[in-house]
Amino acid sequence: MTAATPRAVLAATAAALLLATVALVAFVLPAEYGVDPLGSGRAMGLLALAPAEQEALAEASEKYVTDTVTFELAPFESVEYKYRLAAGDGLVFSWRATGELVAELHGEPDAAPAGVADSFELTRAAGRRGTYQAPFAGWHGWFWQNRGTGPVSVTLEAAGFFPAARIYHDGRVQEIPKGTPPGSE
Amino acid sequence: MTEPTIIEIRHRVAAAGLGTLLLGGAGAAFAHTIGGQDAVFVQGISGPAVGPFVYLGAKHMVTGYDHLLFLVGVVFFLRRLRDVALYVSLFTLGHSVTLIGGVLGALAVNAYLIDAVIGLSVVYKAFENLGGFDVLFGAAPDARLAVLIFGLFHGLGLATRLQEMALADEGLLVNLLSFNLGVEAGQVLALLVVVALLFRWRAGRRFGRQAFVANTALMSAGFLLAGYQGAGYLLVGNS
Repeated sequence: MTAATPRAVLAATAAALLLATVALVAFVLPAEYGVDPLGSGRAMGLLALAPAEQEALAEASEKYVTDTVTFELAPFESVEYKYRLAAGDGLVFSWRATGELVAELHGEPDAAPAGVADSFELTRAAGRRGTYQAPFAGWHGWFWQNRGTGPVSVTLEAAGFFPAARIYHDGRVQEIPKGTPPGSE
Repeated sequence: MTEPTIIEIRHRVAAAGLGTLLLGGAGAAFAHTIGGQDAVFVQGISGPAVGPFVYLGAKHMVTGYDHLLFLVGVVFFLRRLRDVALYVSLFTLGHSVTLIGGVLGALAVNAYLIDAVIGLSVVYKAFENLGGFDVLFGAAPDARLAVLIFGLFHGLGLATRLQEMALADEGLLVNLLSFNLGVEAGQVLALLVVVALLFRWRAGRRFGRQAFVANTALMSAGFLLAGYQGAGYLLVGNS
């Protein structure tokens, strides 16, 4: 390479930094973090890509529902159980198992092709509890797999604003309406 | 529409996870992990599993553009294969030490910060390629030493990602060595392509001018990576 002049190197460095800063502020910050100082994210619709803002209070449109469900898992058997949640909807949950399971909390966005999911926690545990706030509209829930040698029973209790739940088991998907009045189920 | 089966679902999860993770994306809590079905598998492993970890290591390297950009910078002006081997060995030595030592010693670093440093390593290498140190400061730091030191940081990045999964203690060392071996294999694979293309490019008459522009672009990409991950640290913080 021919020897560069100090001027050329400084100009190249400044250009590189300027280009990166513009791309960062105009495109990356709005799309990745929802920070939009120039308004370019709003103009180009990039803000929709950013994770939903966490507000202290999130009003729900659907009816309040509680749900308790139990699955028996034979060794190496797995099941998925997911709730229909709108963006920003909260879900208070607790699940306990009689043995250790591989568990993955994830959500399938409506906007994505069927089956594409974002994973939020992957763990080996006999139980988890917490509050989940859906970052996007879609189906949100757990994948449990029994990697042990004996059967494991897992019980999930959840409260939220979901109109339906889905069970994915043995290659089949079953949808169960939730929030129907007591006695009519 | 027919409902997807469980098997389809898990495969697609893996594909989505791969996109998020390996392309080094941040912005959400799950961005820095090994994703989907891969992660389910890794968590499920107890005991040595050489094949899968070699594969995961190779996949991480081939699809991790931060490592690839740095390597492109490193080999950009190396005309002899012997030099390529020397520099890449130094890089390998560096990241192997921190990958294995980091996981075994449970060395915890913030993923955003380490990825920002990796972005700056690209900036550094591109600046060196532009002749910046010689021209502006009259002397350049030893390029071999720099590659070794940045190798340490790249390895720390790998160790940080691996530690975010609950790895079983059983067979940990074997699995780590396997992952590391896979990283090397992926690196060699990527370098074969990069070096071959560079050799062709260098044969062209306009290479000198284009090289200057290319390294400016490389530096800009490094700044962008550093800014992206640095902003993640400030805005999302300790995830």
